[in-house]
Amino acid sequence: MASTLTDSTSRAPGTYTYTSRPRALPCQRRRYRDSLTQPDEEPMHYGNIMYDRRVIRGNTYALQTGPLPGQPDALELQRQREAKKRALARKRAQEQLRPQTPEPVEGRKHVDVQTELYLEEIADRIIEVDMECQTDAFLDRPPTPLFIPAKTGKDVATQILEGELFDFDLEVTPVLEVLVGKTIEQSLLEVMEEEELANLRASQREYEELRNSERAEVQRLEEQERRHREEKERRKKQQWEIAHKHNETSQKIAARAFAQRYLADLLPSVFGSLRDSGYFYDPIERDIEIGFLPWLMNEVEKTMEYSMVGRTVLDMLIREVVENRLYMYEHQRDSHPSPEPEVEPHGPEAMRESLGASEFLEQSMSQTQGLLLDRDDLQRTTYDESSSQERKLMEQSELLGQDEETARRESLGKEELS
Amino acid sequence: MAQSGNSMELSTNINAAQVTTAYGHRALPKLNEELQSEDLQTRQKALMALCDLMHDPEHIYKAMNIGCMENLKALLKDRNSMVRIKTTEVLHIVASHSVGRFAFLEHNIVLALSFLLNDPSPVCRRNLYKAYMQLVQVPRGAEEIISKGLIFPLVRKLQGEAEEEFQELILDTLVLCLREDATEALNSNVVPILKQKLISTNENIRSKAARALLNVSISRVGKKQVCQFDVIPILVHLLKDPVEHVRSNAAGALMFATVITEGKYAALEAEAIGPLLELLHSPMTVARLNATKALTMLAEAPEGRKVLQVHVPTFRAMEVEPHEKPHMAEALQRAARIAVSVIEFKP
Repeated sequence: MASTLTDSTSRAPGTYTYTSRPRALPCQRRRYRDSLTQPDEEPMHYGNIMYDRRVIRGNTYALQTGPLPGQPDALELQRQREAKKRALARKRAQEQLRPQTPEPVEGRKHVDVQTELYLEEIADRIIEVDMECQTDAFLDRPPTPLFIPAKTGKDVATQILEGELFDFDLEVTPVLEVLVGKTIEQSLLEVMEEEELANLRASQREYEELRNSERAEVQRLEEQERRHREEKERRKKQQWEIAHKHNETSQKIAARAFAQRYLADLLPSVFGSLRDSGYFYDPIERDIEIGFLPWLMNEVEKTMEYSMVGRTVLDMLIREVVENRLYMYEHQRDSHPSPEPEVEPHGPEAMRESLGASEFLEQSMSQTQGLLLDRDDLQRTTYDESSSQERKLMEQSELLGQDEETARRESLGKEELS
Repeated sequence: MAQSGNSMELSTNINAAQVTTAYGHRALPKLNEELQSEDLQTRQKALMALCDLMHDPEHIYKAMNIGCMENLKALLKDRNSMVRIKTTEVLHIVASHSVGRFAFLEHNIVLALSFLLNDPSPVCRRNLYKAYMQLVQVPRGAEEIISKGLIFPLVRKLQGEAEEEFQELILDTLVLCLREDATEALNSNVVPILKQKLISTNENIRSKAARALLNVSISRVGKKQVCQFDVIPILVHLLKDPVEHVRSNAAGALMFATVITEGKYAALEAEAIGPLLELLHSPMTVARLNATKALTMLAEAPEGRKVLQVHVPTFRAMEVEPHEKPHMAEALQRAARIAVSVIEFKP
């Protein structure tokens, strides 16, 4: 085995490798050797696998599991045993029979013949009939047959002929009527319901149409009403506006007339009051008043100041003269009374000066007095001029310093008054 | 025997192979529990059973009592589109009954539904629109929709939806909402969109759009907007439309729009008198009524009066015309009389 294996493997290296190479099996190989010493060089009978009963070919679904040839089936076995028994029995029978009768001649046969009157069958053997019983393999227990108890009583039969029981056509009409009637009634009800619904819908629609048309009418009337109303409103408004305007204009006219009348004498009164308060001035007069008179007053003031200054100077002169004289007098008293004639020329000069000054003063005085006093007093002053000149001079020159201002003020005041 | 009320039998739509409802009065509570289950299949089956049960208003009432509505509301947000479709269908059936509408209002379902306006599945949206349409049949429902501010999204959807069926449903909803309160819709620019729909090819859409404009122009603001957006020439054009109810609705819209002076002159310029006179002979009573009223409005303007003075005999004939329904006849006669009086008015 091993050698063949190696040979086979060396022969075909490329295709397959086997652990055990496929080989044809010898068939009819005895399982056990007859004798231990029997060599195994007997020719091997190889069996064809195609014709081997052990190989199941074809459909295996419905397999008839017959007895395998290798294994004896019980049935087979029994049959074989019986066959053997029969064979044995036959043999024994044959051996027993043989010496009894001579062999038949060629071409003839011994036959047992019964010669009695009545033939009877001779058989030692009991007629054996083999009966066997075997339940079917794997069959279900059949269902229990119905128990039908044995019939007791009498059998009675009857036969109903046609027309004996009832008339089908007659009897069936009420039933049919009920059936068909009920069905039709139900269907009628349903159809009526639907029709009712349809009618309801239709009447609803009709109503809706009517309602729509009525609504349209209502809307039209409303619209008309609205238009009329608006028209009325507009007209009323127009009228009202006209009336209002009319009213207004009349009021305006009345007011205008009244205002005119009221203001008629406004103008003169206004003018009068304005004039009274001095708003209407003659510009020349004003100009004189504003421009000229202050200037005049200034000049007057200046002049008066000059006169005042002159007087003051005169005062100083006189003072100095008097002081000198006093001094000289005192001095002369002390020394001698000669500087008197010195002083005298001074004196008369001073006197002349003072006279000049006094004349000047007198002139200015006359001027001022002329201005100061009224014209009524003018003659009086001319009288007073010459007589009380000096007296006044003296008085007034001393007082002039103080009175100058008051006199000026007085003059100014009087001026203002005038 | 047959009763006049709804039968307690389940309608024949049940697919017994699909779903098993519990017997009798246990059906709804059991379904309610199943609605809350985690399993998708169970929920879908429960919804389908509910769809069939909800045709009966007594079941709706019961469902309300046991709190089914809350579960349905929760299911609206489900991820599976089939669940959503079925839920909206249930809600649509519920909304067709008055009890159901009451349930809608109580449980605030309108708002929850509104989140599905942008749902990708078209079936879901169709059911949603149908539910809304059923809801607004009553004024209270329309008020609810307006108060939740759904007019603006609906108007936008009207523009956005390509499919005509959806547009019709939305228009239906809008028509009834506008009847209630038009202010919000006007704020959301509904008039130009309706103007577009007026020239659509589908006759239903045209008719419904005209009706919507009718309802819009009831209010003063609406009238002004209608004139502002030049809708009147299109309406006059629609007066010559081949379909009868489109004409009638267009006449109705004109009737309201011409109440204000602007409208009157716009209509006169667009030569509305001719088609309106033709409409007087139409078979539909409503159309005649609308046309009469519209002509009355136009007769208030001096130009209109001049033209219509020729046609006074037509109106006089209408006055004595009989009609099978007494109130309609009366209405027509009254309208004709008013028209005559307006035409012959001398200031």
